[in-house]
Amino acid sequence: MIRNYLTMAFRNLKRHRAFAFINISGLAVGIASCIVLFLVVKYELGYDRFLPGNEKIFHVVTRQVYPDRVHYQPGVPVPALAALRNDFPEITTGTLHNQSGRQVTVLGRDPNAKSDQKFIEDSGIMFADPQFFQVFPFPWLQGSASMLSEPNVVALTEEAGDKYFGSWKQAVGQYIMIDNAVTLKVAGILQNIPANSDFPMGVVPSLVTSKNNPDLFGYNDDWGSMSSNFQVFMRLPENVSPASLDNRFAAFSKKYYRPGTQSVKSNYLQPLSEVHFDREIESFGDHSVSRSTLWTLSLIGVFIILMACINFVNMSTAQAVNRSREIGIRKVLGGKRSSLFGQMMGETGVMVFISLLLGLTIAALCLPYVKYVASIQESLSVFNTEVLLFALALAVLVTFLAGSYPALVVSGFKPLLALKNKFSSASVAGVSLRRVLVVTQFAISQALIIGTIVAVSQMGAIKQANIGFNKDAVMVLEAAGDSVVQSRQDAFKSALLGNPQVKGVSFSSDVPSSDNNWSNNFAFDHTEDQNFHLFMKYADEDYYKTFGIEFVAGHAYSKSDSITGWVVNETLLSKLGIKDPQSVIGKDLRTGATQWKPIVGVVKDFRTNSMRDNIPPLAIGTWKQVYSAAGIKISGDNFNATTAFVQDQWNKYFPEYANRTSFMDERIADFYKQEDQLALLYKIFAGIAIFISCLGLYGLVSFMAVQRTREVGIRKTLGATVPQIVYLFSREFTVLVVVAFAVAAPLAWYFMNRWLENFTYKITVGPGIFLLAILISMTIAWITVGYKSIRAALANPVKSLRNE
Amino acid sequence: MIKITNLEKVYRTEEVETIALNKLSLEVKQGEFVAVMGPSGCGKSTLLNILGLLDDADTGSFVFNGIEVVNFNERKRADLRKHNIGFVFQSFNLIDELTVFENVELPLIYTGVKASERKKKVDEVLNKVQIMHRRNHYPQQLSGGQQQRVAVARAVVNDPKLILADEPTGNLDSSNGNEVMQMLTELNEQGTTIVMVTHSEHDARYSHRIIRMLDGQTVLQNIMV
Repeated sequence: MIRNYLTMAFRNLKRHRAFAFINISGLAVGIASCIVLFLVVKYELGYDRFLPGNEKIFHVVTRQVYPDRVHYQPGVPVPALAALRNDFPEITTGTLHNQSGRQVTVLGRDPNAKSDQKFIEDSGIMFADPQFFQVFPFPWLQGSASMLSEPNVVALTEEAGDKYFGSWKQAVGQYIMIDNAVTLKVAGILQNIPANSDFPMGVVPSLVTSKNNPDLFGYNDDWGSMSSNFQVFMRLPENVSPASLDNRFAAFSKKYYRPGTQSVKSNYLQPLSEVHFDREIESFGDHSVSRSTLWTLSLIGVFIILMACINFVNMSTAQAVNRSREIGIRKVLGGKRSSLFGQMMGETGVMVFISLLLGLTIAALCLPYVKYVASIQESLSVFNTEVLLFALALAVLVTFLAGSYPALVVSGFKPLLALKNKFSSASVAGVSLRRVLVVTQFAISQALIIGTIVAVSQMGAIKQANIGFNKDAVMVLEAAGDSVVQSRQDAFKSALLGNPQVKGVSFSSDVPSSDNNWSNNFAFDHTEDQNFHLFMKYADEDYYKTFGIEFVAGHAYSKSDSITGWVVNETLLSKLGIKDPQSVIGKDLRTGATQWKPIVGVVKDFRTNSMRDNIPPLAIGTWKQVYSAAGIKISGDNFNATTAFVQDQWNKYFPEYANRTSFMDERIADFYKQEDQLALLYKIFAGIAIFISCLGLYGLVSFMAVQRTREVGIRKTLGATVPQIVYLFSREFTVLVVVAFAVAAPLAWYFMNRWLENFTYKITVGPGIFLLAILISMTIAWITVGYKSIRAALANPVKSLRNE
Repeated sequence: MIKITNLEKVYRTEEVETIALNKLSLEVKQGEFVAVMGPSGCGKSTLLNILGLLDDADTGSFVFNGIEVVNFNERKRADLRKHNIGFVFQSFNLIDELTVFENVELPLIYTGVKASERKKKVDEVLNKVQIMHRRNHYPQQLSGGQQQRVAVARAVVNDPKLILADEPTGNLDSSNGNEVMQMLTELNEQGTTIVMVTHSEHDARYSHRIIRMLDGQTVLQNIMV
């Protein structure tokens, strides 16, 4: 029986090639999309899940409640570590002190050797204490965590060992140096950390090393200071739940944090399983992702496969008419409904299976490109048990979804009617159902089209938006702000300005737009501290000229190594309730416990961070000691020669430092990497959705054209024109597209507005976007329907009537 | 074998009521060969469909092999049908996607006969209708006469007690038609009961008895000698 069904299935496929092609290609693309999305979502959900007992690992974070806002800090003050160990003695507590971005010089066997082998490690340098590895059981290949109790030792991962010493097996016993200042002996090797970890460690010096070099590594043993680089983790014992510790954490916070003038600090536990998904509390990883994004992706996957199934249902029920005679014969010969149902399901199964194989192939071919649309650096593969199981389950589900309804309809044919071919496609399974399904499909693709237009316009608007300073042709070079660098800054600057193509050079703590958030409490005009924080940047007097930042009152301060006066932004003035910028010039400002210094200038607001955030109140002053970035404005002519010149000069003046160049416009584009990727994803999946719905539409119209050949023939003999016939075919689909639009538009409007809430600078979702969306889908529908209907309309009526 | 009493069947549309069978009574004995004749619309096909359990009557009784089947549900009908009744249609009704062999095999599959047994039986019956050399061809590669021989083979492969033939020669030329009639006669001689609907007096002469119908009733019975 099964062999008979399979034979029948394959022969049917061959006979109705066009329909099979439409069904199989739609399903294959749908299945491929689902597999790729499954892999991406699984990868993101799998962050740090590979760690044994990960559900018992917690991150101690700090909540700072201000009168006007709540701020979450991933770090804790350095002394909190000892206090936590003291107050929670039964809990294992470990620390990471992130110092990524520093330079590693490979010395080899001789700790005093000179070396040119320099690497800037943008991520991966994390000082750790031995207890950290009790909390996070990353496996050791050589040595053990206990060696991290010694100063000036470092553990490397296999990868870092290979990079520095050719092979990690040779690394132990050799030396590296950090920032030309601290020499470390390699004492252990860690197994490589999987790519989907928010703890991308590569170089792990002992925590006591940073404690011994507090100035160099910003190890600030003071309750009043806090940095996101110093983070503490706990592994709770089996029988302890985090909720049971709430009261003790409240008591802990009360005991150690003296209430500040503006904020109340407290600590609480964030589960490790939340670290990757909390966009408010930054992790050490290269990206975080909100669960809603993952939900959106999963939903898109569901939609796409649903659309492919809808095609299948539509085509199969429409086509069922052609098979009514066969069904009739089978029934007359004793076929039961159940066995016919089985046969139909079997045929669907065969098609789905072929689609599955194709889908897996398509997915495998697409996976190498995933890294361009998702923050996934590791190469993914479809050939593992989990994916194959998922694919198989998907195939079963699709077979059921796509096959059961048509099978139910077909197997329910009355044998006598079926034999006499007394069915029309209209009477089979109701036209209305097919209409509902087509509307659903078009609603999904239109929602995706609207989403795409909104996302693409928003990202375009952000890139075009006035950010308040000039980001074009500005090179940014970074180096540790140590005294050696600072002593040569002036000479480097003069050398650069000697080249007429270099238009400006400025040293600063920080370029105008960055992720840095350096804030402090402050007072204005000899009054009490204000109830909001002031954000700070430190920069030399040429900062404004180099970056094209405009003054609305006053001017820049003059050259100095320490603060002589402040330049503030308009937001600060409006927060202070001051209308006239001129009126604050000469008034004093004090940050933290420093001295009062006068405000010398007010600049127009510029974007200090991404468009997601509001512009904060800002003050800029001079403080040479913290300058670590050089902004170099160069002319557009001879661009390549000028950048080469700048780099040559860098190597000449700072030979100890690897040269790390970026361009301001690229750095800003980086802020929006995730949004850009999301916009790209929308584009891709909207394209796929449109493709699948067009396939379905094309199939239905082809079918209609065949079914209505006689009608068209009669109409033409009676004098119908070609446009009238084309209208006959396109009228219904036009109505369906409009109905689908009415469903899709409000949903898309709602969800895209929610997405836009992530931005402070945003476009409005106006009628133009919806007009464009319906225009696009209408055009696509007409093109799809048009070809077939024109062909039907042009057919010779004599021929079509004679066929009857 | 077949005993129907006061059978009534009415087709209704919104405005028209057509009486297809009007209190028809009829008996067919085991081993009989009966021809049913009459003008179009007299109810011949309706009668045949009811006899084949493809359609049901509105009122009356239908006893098949001593069992009242009027109230049988779809499953019981299918069961009774596949074990007892073979069909031969005017338009052959072969499945285009299956080969000759596979078409004939189909009833055996539905009655759950084992594959090896099926092969034996199908080959046997294909030999009998002299179409063995075409066993791997598809219906559309055969002539009408050949197709009808395949249909007959399919009807008898399960050794049914009753064969219902609906104008079996209607789409055939006279020589092919005669061949098919010869085959039916042979089957009847071997003990199979046959009820055949036909327009052809020539074909009807192969039967033992001709039932003539008009307006849903039997009006005349000729016993052939």
